[in-house]
Amino acid sequence: MNGIERFGALVLSGLEWLGGVARLVLRVLRVGPRRPFGFDDILHQTVELGVRSLPIAMLITLFIGMILTWQFGWGLEDFGATMALGNVVSVGLVPELVPSMLAITVGVKMAAGMTAELGSMKVTEQIDAIAALGADPYKKLVWPRVCASTLSLPLLIALGNLIAMLGGMLIAEWKFGVPAGYFYETYIDELEPLNYIASPVKGVTFGALVGAIGCYQGFNTKIGTEAVGAATTDTVAATAIIIIIADFYLNTLFF
Amino acid sequence: MPEPIIDFRGVTKRFGEHVVYERMSLSVLPGETLTIIGGSGGGKSVCLKMMIGLLVPDEGQVLFHGTSVPDMPEEGLRQVRRKVAYVFQGGALFDSMTVGENIGYALREHTDWSMARIEQRASECLTMVGLHEGVAEQMPASLSGGMKKRVALARSIAIEPEVILYDEPTTGLDPKNIKRIGDMILKLQRELDVTSVVVTHDMPTARKVSNRIAMLYQRAFPFVGTADEMWHSAAPEVRDFIHGRIRRAEQSAPAHPVDAAEDSRGA
Ligand SMILES: Nc1ncnc2c1ncn2[C@@H]1O[C@H](COP(=O)(O)OP(=O)(O)OP(=O)(O)O)[C@@H](O)[C@H]1O
Ligand SMILES: [Mg+2]
Repeated sequence: MNGIERFGALVLSGLEWLGGVARLVLRVLRVGPRRPFGFDDILHQTVELGVRSLPIAMLITLFIGMILTWQFGWGLEDFGATMALGNVVSVGLVPELVPSMLAITVGVKMAAGMTAELGSMKVTEQIDAIAALGADPYKKLVWPRVCASTLSLPLLIALGNLIAMLGGMLIAEWKFGVPAGYFYETYIDELEPLNYIASPVKGVTFGALVGAIGCYQGFNTKIGTEAVGAATTDTVAATAIIIIIADFYLNTLFF
Repeated sequence: MPEPIIDFRGVTKRFGEHVVYERMSLSVLPGETLTIIGGSGGGKSVCLKMMIGLLVPDEGQVLFHGTSVPDMPEEGLRQVRRKVAYVFQGGALFDSMTVGENIGYALREHTDWSMARIEQRASECLTMVGLHEGVAEQMPASLSGGMKKRVALARSIAIEPEVILYDEPTTGLDPKNIKRIGDMILKLQRELDVTSVVVTHDMPTARKVSNRIAMLYQRAFPFVGTADEMWHSAAPEVRDFIHGRIRRAEQSAPAHPVDAAEDSRGA
């Protein structure tokens, strides 16, 4: 009985949390598009989030491309089918692995950064101070961050797709003797329009989720500096879980 | 009696199980300086926050010029916050901005002044709180606690508010700056007719600046009156409070306790 009750309480608090994130999204959609749009802040945040994440995004996608090609090459070698490497790797990377892996690494990093920053602003009453000075904290803090992550994650994914393919090409040629040109042709050949759409749609969705969760967690940090640490840790777990579930859901829609 | 600027009527405020206010009433009159005193954790900051809608009461009303603050539409609340400045207990300066940008924040938000004019006003405000103009270029992180406090003060007066809420403006300052802040509160009241609510533990400052003192005790304000009325009050809770204060003063300060509370000359 106690176990069931506890499970029930957990489900309820989860739903409450989701409701809170949804309310934040609605609120920011209401106040965000008003004049002034805050382009400066959005640009600043995009540079902060996107450009700072470039090196890690490139490194990760390079290795994902190499790893997946190596694995598939190893499997296909037994059937003497390494020439199909490009076809197989591309459908694994473009609509799935590059977006989800980047969201779970770079995206989660962005969300955690937002929670830590906004959480310490909350704890030191800077968020209250914005409101007290007659401005809207959702407009000033949440809107530019959500815009920036929604914008920068799909761009990072687009670049990541390119790098992952180069990584695959490298391994295909060097390890399995598949000519790079041929790998490229088969790689592109296998991609249908749906794959090209899925990648950025996932990027935008994950980016928006990252911004919403990161900011919500920051704004709802409890009093005290140790609370910032706790909120940030929770953000890492919550963002990763929500991204995986959203990924699954989008796949059921697309494929 | 003139119509109050800010009026609490039967306000109850809880955080979960914890009841901070219970059927509390308090009026802030136009042009006066009202000081709120009370023990730590009693709810003084919560009271100030309810005045500008940063926190909302669970029951009862908070009125600004007769209009309910919690029920105001966004634009109405924005206007209240333009007129009522809040000096946060910890300063709450924006870490990511320079001191000058901090002070100009409300002006950028509410006026269409040029950058040059805003900067000009920012250095005026810095001078008023006794800081050098050059501080405007610094980041808040590089300031001492007392300087942060004074920058926070400067940020609140930049837009020339009607009402200023000071949350412990002198805590942690040296005697010279305590006097300066006290003088500034008096000057703003006399010259610009600013209404002030001051939360303080510092009795000399309270006596110096306030027209009335409100004593927070057990979730309400059982005593509101002048400093002299308070000192001569026979009400047991007021006596309790004063004696509690004297006992604490005896432990920490060598000076005669009554002197310490009587006048600011000793400070
Ligand atoms: N946002 C909040 N959430 C939960 N509890 C709160 C919140 N703000 C204040 N409290 C609680 O309300 C009580 C009153 O807090 P408040 O900050 O108003 O005290 P205070 O009188 O200003 O004390 P101090 O002199 O130490 O500043 C405290 O017990 C505090 O824990
Ligand atoms: Mg306080």
